[in-house]
Amino acid sequence: MGGFDFSNHNRNAALHAQGVPLPKATSTGTTIVGCIYDGGVVIAADTRATSGPIVADKNCEKLHFISPQIWCAGAGTAADTEFTTALISSNLELHSLSTGRRPRVVTVMTMLKQHLYRYQGHIGAYLVVAGCDPTGAHLFTVHAHGSTDKLPYVTMGSGSLAAMSVFETQWQRGLDREGAVKLCADAIQAGIWNDLGSGSNVDVCVITQEKTTLMRNYITPNERSKKLRNYRFQRGTTAVLNEKVMTKEDITKYVTVHELEDDKETAVAEKMDVDR
Amino acid sequence: MIQPTGMLGEDGIHVDMDHLKKGEVNLGTSIMAINFKDGVILGADSRTTTGSYIANRVTDKLTQVHDTIWCCRSGSAADTQAVADIVQYHLGMYGVENDEAPTTQTAAALFQEICYENKDNLSAGMIIAGYDQRHGGQVYSIPLGGSLHKQTYAIGGSGSTYIYGFCDANWKEGMTEEEGIDFVKRSLQEAIKWDGSSGGVIRMVVLTAKGAQRHLYLPDNGYTGPGYK
Amino acid sequence: MASVFSGAPPAGGPGYSFKSTPTPSQASGIREHSFYPYADNGGSTLGISGADFTILAGDTRSTSGYSINTRYEPKLFKIGGEGPDHVGATLVLSVVGFAADGHALKERLDTIVKMYKYQHGKPMSVAACAQRLSHMLYGKRFFPYYVHAILGGLDEEGKGALYSYDPVGSYEREQCRAAGAAASLIMPFLDNQVNFKNQYMPGSGEGHALQQRVPEPLPRADVEALVKDAFDGAVERHIEVGDGLQTMIITKEGIEERYAPLKKD
Repeated sequence: MGGFDFSNHNRNAALHAQGVPLPKATSTGTTIVGCIYDGGVVIAADTRATSGPIVADKNCEKLHFISPQIWCAGAGTAADTEFTTALISSNLELHSLSTGRRPRVVTVMTMLKQHLYRYQGHIGAYLVVAGCDPTGAHLFTVHAHGSTDKLPYVTMGSGSLAAMSVFETQWQRGLDREGAVKLCADAIQAGIWNDLGSGSNVDVCVITQEKTTLMRNYITPNERSKKLRNYRFQRGTTAVLNEKVMTKEDITKYVTVHELEDDKETAVAEKMDVDR
Repeated sequence: MIQPTGMLGEDGIHVDMDHLKKGEVNLGTSIMAINFKDGVILGADSRTTTGSYIANRVTDKLTQVHDTIWCCRSGSAADTQAVADIVQYHLGMYGVENDEAPTTQTAAALFQEICYENKDNLSAGMIIAGYDQRHGGQVYSIPLGGSLHKQTYAIGGSGSTYIYGFCDANWKEGMTEEEGIDFVKRSLQEAIKWDGSSGGVIRMVVLTAKGAQRHLYLPDNGYTGPGYK
Repeated sequence: MASVFSGAPPAGGPGYSFKSTPTPSQASGIREHSFYPYADNGGSTLGISGADFTILAGDTRSTSGYSINTRYEPKLFKIGGEGPDHVGATLVLSVVGFAADGHALKERLDTIVKMYKYQHGKPMSVAACAQRLSHMLYGKRFFPYYVHAILGGLDEEGKGALYSYDPVGSYEREQCRAAGAAASLIMPFLDNQVNFKNQYMPGSGEGHALQQRVPEPLPRADVEALVKDAFDGAVERHIEVGDGLQTMIITKEGIEERYAPLKKD
């Protein structure tokens, strides 16, 4: 069993005593929700990640894969939700292989709560666990200290109060898929507009016994407005203080170089979103 | 981050038992369990809070640890769930290994062991109640320090402070099931009324020779039963 | 107010890191009770002076912690005008930081400028008003107004005049200034686009001999676009900035006020 490396603890404690502040972790000051409906379960999240009052990521992913039919929405410290869900996902697959059965949502919930309880809240992961297994559709919340709740509709994160106000006024028994997705999306939007820790887009994931549908950027109500002025600089605006020419042969010592055809634009796998 | 809150006073060491880790989910609760003619009744409200926010308004604080051994949880939600899970595991093993159901006393002793040995790290106040063939119905209380008390009835949680007088005045030995349910319900109604950290529905479990039976009482109809009227 | 309701998120949720926000104290142990009279209401302002005009702008969001108090709370105030519509005003004060102190400061300055006109029979000059404002701020040196103020108007030659202040009255006349929550995001943009910092004239020399692009007063249309772009940028990356953009343009014709929506997330 692996674990955390505490070798810098004493040094950091000494630095902290001298007044050096702790590094700021990226927090997904978040709105995440979940809702059971007849035949499945829906979870949804906003896509803003913050570091203090600064937006660290405008379109991050807070819906994490656990197994094909079990997904998790995470709030709290970004790194903790990411690594905790990845760890449990890994262990769950081994468990599933060992038992020869489809993984259950209660198993995930139990593994998460035992892992988080052991770390007494120091792992700041607040999670909504949802999925379908042979025993039906399930929805849980897991708090960082290791407590769990089982409810028909749940919210977590800094926008949980705004989102819960939507559920407490609009939720009704016997929702269908369309109604549950709408309700979850509305709850997330309540967080996006009314909670400063939440913003940007709505991600939704619908899980049924048959299949899982991840709807990344299901609603995008916060597209960036067009700039009024042109901010392209004339060539030569930046001072060039010195110049060094590297040949292709020099570069091949460090990286692999691929020749590109002239008419091909780029060979980049994923296009970056850049200002033009 | 967690600062030790124990203080050395003139008359010895004071350990603050109400201490909760920052941001922890709290069961600021009203719980109770009573003996009656044919067994025991456990009762609880359903409110879970984080600060002033109600994180769960329909919580189930009555947890089964064996067929007819249940517990009421108060204090930290995480701690009490963890303790109950461990006890449930051990009682399960006990039942299989000995081919005989554990007694309520065994269960209570297990709870006490965990609560006492880890008292510095736990905020768990529990009431254990069960029915076994040898002793019939029994009620045990384990308050914050980890001591174990066998009682005819036990109350606990933040809401219990409001109903000591009520329970004392209305308690009767050997009540019928109907009288027992009424006693528990009226006590918890009073606790919910006065304690801000308690609320929601009233849950009960009746443990007799016939097994476990759940009850639900909603505020919508003045705690007369489940559903709307 | 601040001590009664901290505005902090529920203890269970993820906390936030604003230094000024009081956090719920430990459940037990020795507790020191104190009253903290200040709050941070977020938001940002900016001012740019041109050849014959001054523009002041500010977003209209008011926050406390992770909550929005209102989506329309002006941070720009006309100073020295008559009646509820401030007829004849030629000065604009923008305040960002603690909104209650901002309002108190605005009310005091408005009264002073009016009294000056009644007593001297002529309007107060921007330079005089600027120095008076400095004195007002320093007057509360040991219990400061928790604000970053910017004063705009036209000087005696009719040129755009802009003065910016720290909370205790240190002030300076400038070409442009950003203040408030997103000041650190907007100010570098203004340095580059208004004063052409880090911009060199292409082909004017080699290496260190390259010449800086010379700043010149920008035309009004350019500045207005620059202001909108600055706020659209700040809204993208700062959670306390958004909802609406209030702009005031001071020219010899008077003060023109405008409103444009900003993103509301």
